[in-house]
Amino acid sequence: MRPIGLLAAAVMSGLSSAALAAEESKGMPQLDFGNVLTKSQVVWLALIFFVLYLLLSKWALPKVGTVLEKRASTIAGDLQAAQTAKTAADAAVAELTAKTRAAQSGAQAEIAGAVEAAKAAATAQAATLNARLDAQLAEAEQRIAAARAAAMGALRQVAGETAAVVVTRLTGVHASQPSVDAAVGAALAARGLA
Amino acid sequence: MAAEEHAIDALGQFKLTTALGPLGASVNFTQSNLMMLISGLLILGLMYFGARPQAVVPGRLQALAEMAYEGIRKMCIDQIGDEGKAFFPFVFTLFMFVLIGNLLGLLPFSFTYTSHIAVTLSLAMTVIVLVTVVALRIHGLHFFSYFFPAGAPKLLAPIIIPVEIISYLSRPVSLSIRLFANMVAGHVMFEVFASFILMMAASHALGSFGVVGAVGPMVLNVLLMGFELLVAFLQAYVFAILTCIYLHDAVHLH
Amino acid sequence: MSEEQGQKGSFEERLSSARRRQGLEGAADGSTKSGAADNSSLGVGLRVGVELVSAIVVAVAIGWSLDTWLHTKPLLLIVFVLLGGAAGVANIWRLVGPKPPKK
Repeated sequence: MRPIGLLAAAVMSGLSSAALAAEESKGMPQLDFGNVLTKSQVVWLALIFFVLYLLLSKWALPKVGTVLEKRASTIAGDLQAAQTAKTAADAAVAELTAKTRAAQSGAQAEIAGAVEAAKAAATAQAATLNARLDAQLAEAEQRIAAARAAAMGALRQVAGETAAVVVTRLTGVHASQPSVDAAVGAALAARGLA
Repeated sequence: MAAEEHAIDALGQFKLTTALGPLGASVNFTQSNLMMLISGLLILGLMYFGARPQAVVPGRLQALAEMAYEGIRKMCIDQIGDEGKAFFPFVFTLFMFVLIGNLLGLLPFSFTYTSHIAVTLSLAMTVIVLVTVVALRIHGLHFFSYFFPAGAPKLLAPIIIPVEIISYLSRPVSLSIRLFANMVAGHVMFEVFASFILMMAASHALGSFGVVGAVGPMVLNVLLMGFELLVAFLQAYVFAILTCIYLHDAVHLH
Repeated sequence: MSEEQGQKGSFEERLSSARRRQGLEGAADGSTKSGAADNSSLGVGLRVGVELVSAIVVAVAIGWSLDTWLHTKPLLLIVFVLLGGAAGVANIWRLVGPKPPKK
């Protein structure tokens, strides 16, 4: 494009000077200011240009301007709607996330509570069981102690009688009951059985 | 087309005649004015049918109308500043009028009104009068300080002031000569190459070789048409942007 | 989840870039100033010639008409041609010379 343009420009300048030279002999119609048509042309130009300017500035251009403004406002409105919708969507997503999180933590708490309750129940059960076993154990021990005490009481009596009989047989002396009992008690105490 | 051999009537195409029959002749309505009328109707039609669908997604015509509207509006605001909005309709009218005039002139059998210095000078004078009026209205008599830059030595005033005045007055001249010369040069070249085609093809000396040789200027004319389309846009753009720059100067006074 | 996140991010980006294009959100960059009238060397070259010629044309017109009015031919014509040349050079200087920073 460029070389062609330069070439054409070069040719043009040469030719226009040739044309200007030719004008001397024949006269350029454009420079023929004596011609009434050259003047009337300007008058008509003024009229046409003025009317065109008035029609364009008062009627045609505002129309195009309105269309452009309408388009701009439509696009702006659409973009605003998109922005609003996007904000609403973002808010909804945030709300959903928060709700999910809340539900999750609620469920977690419930599970923890249930586990806690179960643990407490188990502990309580174990405690009652232990208490019952302890009671039974204590009772059994008491019974054993009673039986032992009874057995020890019988032992003392048997030992006293046996000791009195043995003393009588061996010595012929009739040992008094209280002294025998005291001797037996001392012997038992010495053995740690009283 | 120039029929005579060795005499190319490259300027006859710019000759004014009356249009629209006796009615047009009675009011000296020229074919140049007819083209102005047609281009004015085309511009209004483009704007009217371009704005009519009012579609959010524009069709071709609507996109064209809106491209012109927004492009020139942006140019006004970029070059002049926010005050440019007030001048937008004027710059738009000027740009479209010149552009459509240039483009219509490229059609066969049409007439290029922008190839008439009287027309381009009138448009440029309109611009410069507007610029001066705007400058006077905004800055009052302070406007005349424009002709003597601050800080210049007072001794040089007798030289600087006439130079600045001539420079200011040369604006409409340069504006109009640029458009006029570009359009005339292009159309003269079309005429010359087209005449070459006929001359070579009809030449007895060259015979059938002439017909083959005539392809050369034909190709040149086709290339020239592309170049002239570019020039048509470029010159309309330059006309409009220089108007904007002058308006900027008027509004901001440097 | 991560894939969804990515899609959401791209949607967000697209939305905000669309809003920026529409001027609803503060643009990242300032308005781009296009001060390029026609800066191609060809355009400047043609403009330089036209500026010079038109300044001289104006000067000649002023000088010639002042001369005719004041009957001082060709004195003022010569003066104004010189001034016109200076004005043409001034025009060209304004065109290609260093530009004062635009506000």
